[in-house]
Amino acid sequence: MSYEEDIVSDDEMNMIDEDVATDSEAESLSDSDTENEITEKLAEPTKTAVYNRAGLLDKLQDISWPEDVPWTHKLTVEIDQGQAVDVNDDLAREMAFYTQGLEGTREGYGKLEAMGLPFLRPSDYFAEMVKSDTHMEKVKSKLLYEKKQIEESEERRKARDNKRMAKEVQSQKMKERAKQKKDDIESVKKWRKQRQQSGFSEKGKDLDLEFGNGKSFQRGGGAKKRPGVTPGDRSGGKGGRPTSRMNNKKREFRDSKFGHGGRKGLNKQNTAETTNDFKGGFRGGKASGNKRQKR
Amino acid sequence: MGKKRKHSETEAPAPVKKNDEPAPERPKRTLLGWKDKNEEDAEKSKPLSSSGFRNKEKVLVTCSRRINFRYRHLMLNMVSLLPHCKKDSKVEAKSSKGATLNELIELKGSSSCLFFECRKHKDLYLWMVKSPGGPSVKFLVNAVHTMEELKLTGNHLKGSRPLLTFSSNFDKDVHWKLLKEMLTQIFGIPKEHRKSKPYHDHVFVFSIVDDHIWFRNYQISVPHNESDKIARGGLDKMTLIEVGPRFCLNPIKIFGGSFGGPTLYENPFYVSPNQIRAFEKRNKAGKFAKKIKAKTRRKMHELANPLEPDEFADMWKDDDE
Repeated sequence: MSYEEDIVSDDEMNMIDEDVATDSEAESLSDSDTENEITEKLAEPTKTAVYNRAGLLDKLQDISWPEDVPWTHKLTVEIDQGQAVDVNDDLAREMAFYTQGLEGTREGYGKLEAMGLPFLRPSDYFAEMVKSDTHMEKVKSKLLYEKKQIEESEERRKARDNKRMAKEVQSQKMKERAKQKKDDIESVKKWRKQRQQSGFSEKGKDLDLEFGNGKSFQRGGGAKKRPGVTPGDRSGGKGGRPTSRMNNKKREFRDSKFGHGGRKGLNKQNTAETTNDFKGGFRGGKASGNKRQKR
Repeated sequence: MGKKRKHSETEAPAPVKKNDEPAPERPKRTLLGWKDKNEEDAEKSKPLSSSGFRNKEKVLVTCSRRINFRYRHLMLNMVSLLPHCKKDSKVEAKSSKGATLNELIELKGSSSCLFFECRKHKDLYLWMVKSPGGPSVKFLVNAVHTMEELKLTGNHLKGSRPLLTFSSNFDKDVHWKLLKEMLTQIFGIPKEHRKSKPYHDHVFVFSIVDDHIWFRNYQISVPHNESDKIARGGLDKMTLIEVGPRFCLNPIKIFGGSFGGPTLYENPFYVSPNQIRAFEKRNKAGKFAKKIKAKTRRKMHELANPLEPDEFADMWKDDDE
């Protein structure tokens, strides 16, 4: 497909000049017309392109301002671009423009400062801005929204990490507990075997195995220090309180049954202990010590 | 041009007023405040050459009919950026477009023109024209981002004079030099223009990348206390915030006259958007034909190279009873 020949002329009033000079741009460049469409590369420059340098120079002389015009009228700064910028790399391109702007401003400000002209807007100078205040409000809200999104995602990520950590820690603990249990059972088996082997002698000297501190069989591995509280107890652990003199047992019983959301269904049931209690057996009756209540 | 006389510091004719006039004049009013006659005379002792030039640029900004919303906003952004411009109503498309526009320019007394021409509701062409017999350039405009986009967060005084920065490759070739001169004259706000504001708080960046002219407009933000001295180390803390708009110009042709005349320059790498679209359509259109061709080709190939008979083809055939 060659489109070197067709240059679509969209009703331009022009006359092709007589001196047709080839313009030889050394690199083959791509011409992108719209961002979304495929960029076309013209492999070689069109041979029929017009380049009337003399005419261009003439026109330049025509329109130029006189040479001695002070710089403050023109306010132009030329900045060297450095290495060639790749057009398709957005970030590099924008960086190049930014640095050009920055350096240009530095130079320009230097010149203005040398001339003693004011160039920075004082903070109390209020005038019409090129974007309206409502527009700037929208911009601000958008920025705040973005910032909030970022923060929220950060928090979510942290929460996820914490959860993962916690899960790991918990799995570790579970493993340890299982291991401990296994060890204990193993040690009992070993002890039994030993006893078997030694013929069930009644001497206690073979009892050199320790089953931990005697605490290992406790629930929770000895961590539970509140003997009055069982897992199913919904009294909030207040049942094991040693204080409150007045009608301690009665209070206890009532608390664990009704207080703090006591157990629902079986509150007023007859239990083995209560069947033979006529008219409340709290007052120093048989109910003393550890009255095992149905919980 | 029956405009009001602008009281300016540098008057075009040589200083005529003498100190001892019969009726004392009122102190002149400038942007920085009221000024006494004594001050004014002190300033007039400056060299005459600087007072000989006055930038009287006036730009006419118009568009064609059936312009897209995005390009219309771009045009309005340009109007707000250039206080020395005058916006005019839409111009009828086609037929003797050049003559109409030339007349318009003369009518309004402008010295240059920015004409936004939108074709097929898709492509925007920008004409940059210097008026009486000046050169004119036709550009194809891409990558348009207007000031209304919320990602462009900067803001600056409306009408403040910008610093114009050009990349150094504008001096590499003649046509770039011409374009640079035109850009300077059109985008540079005249010095003591009525609607211009005093401080320089934004900068235009024109750079040539890949034979296109890229335009950016940045707001300059520098922490400072006084208006003509930068705080110590303030230059290092200077940041640029993009204000917009943004666009990319692809020069198509440069003509010797305004809206016409002999072609002085043609861009050899320019491909019109119509051609690009036609090319794509041609690609897509051939899909079905190509498929048919591929099928027939495959058939021929199979006929030409028959496979050996497969030994195992009948292996399971005897199994069904």
